[in-house]
Amino acid sequence: MALINVAAREIHCKVVYYGPGMCGKTTNLQYIHAQVPRDVKGDLLSIATETERTLFFDFLPLDLGKVRGFQTRFHLYTVPGQILYERTRVAVLNGSDGVVFVADSARDKLEENVRSLKELAGNITRQNKDFREFPIVLQYNKRDLPNALSVGVLDKYLNGLKWARFESIASTGVGVFDTLKAISKLVISRL
Amino acid sequence: MDPQLTSLIVPTEEVAQIEECLGHLVEDTGGNYALLLDKSGQVIASQGDGSRQDITALGALIAGTFASSREVAKLLREKDFRMLFQQGVRENIFIALIEEQWILCVIFNKGTHIGLVKVLTKKATDELAAVLDRVRQQHKGRDEVLGSSFRTSMEDTIDLLFRD
Repeated sequence: MALINVAAREIHCKVVYYGPGMCGKTTNLQYIHAQVPRDVKGDLLSIATETERTLFFDFLPLDLGKVRGFQTRFHLYTVPGQILYERTRVAVLNGSDGVVFVADSARDKLEENVRSLKELAGNITRQNKDFREFPIVLQYNKRDLPNALSVGVLDKYLNGLKWARFESIASTGVGVFDTLKAISKLVISRL
Repeated sequence: MDPQLTSLIVPTEEVAQIEECLGHLVEDTGGNYALLLDKSGQVIASQGDGSRQDITALGALIAGTFASSREVAKLLREKDFRMLFQQGVRENIFIALIEEQWILCVIFNKGTHIGLVKVLTKKATDELAAVLDRVRQQHKGRDEVLGSSFRTSMEDTIDLLFRD
């Protein structure tokens, strides 16, 4: 749940990027960090292994400045995608206001996407939240892969709940900000 | 709407009470810093050594560490897990959970005894639990606090800042 501090006139929202290993969650945050104005972003904090795989989470605070007198902050997190880290994902997901589910468009990753989304549903439900009501935006990443599945097939397996969804190539930034805008607005609409 | 999805609005009066409680905790323990976090890692209030920086990152990491240790405790079949102690070379951190919603942290050095921190933190968590209870019972709507045009203004800001 979002936090509104009336004394400090601050609003804090937590958004988590979730998805299978190597789908591009960290790449999304790195691109956002590189592009947003200096006064909006804090440091990008990454807790990764020696091989640059996320071990705990990446964290990027964004300060949108004063809106109607309230300082508004979005805190973006990624979870570690590898199957091994399921319990860590539960920890990072704690208290989140919205989730971007990043799916890997590669043909051979469909099963991993489906499994990861199912796990997300389970983890949201275990936090006593209604998964069908929870703010989620889908991102179909790596659209430039030669073996990318069609959007129709990905929709069929991943988007039964008809979330807003965006095609992306996170490494070059295509679709990254469209996704961020969509989840931010969705979270704000639920404050 | 699902109550878990509504925002937690902390009014001015309650923030003042929280700051007072944290101030007493720092003073009585002789600690360096006390901060209250939401379980999502967001800092609600802090008191103590004013030179401390990177509070935002500190909040995110402490909440993450606590949530992670809690999962470890579950795997070890602990029934309840509410406290965590980090022993450092220069500074120590004592972390306590308040009613599944807030996290209280006290940062202190070698001059302060952990036993004292534990006892006084317990007292502070009781006080803060009462504040949390009052915060939860208030039924102010978002529009009452933020104004009805907040959402439109926010969407304009998002469009302006989040772009290539």
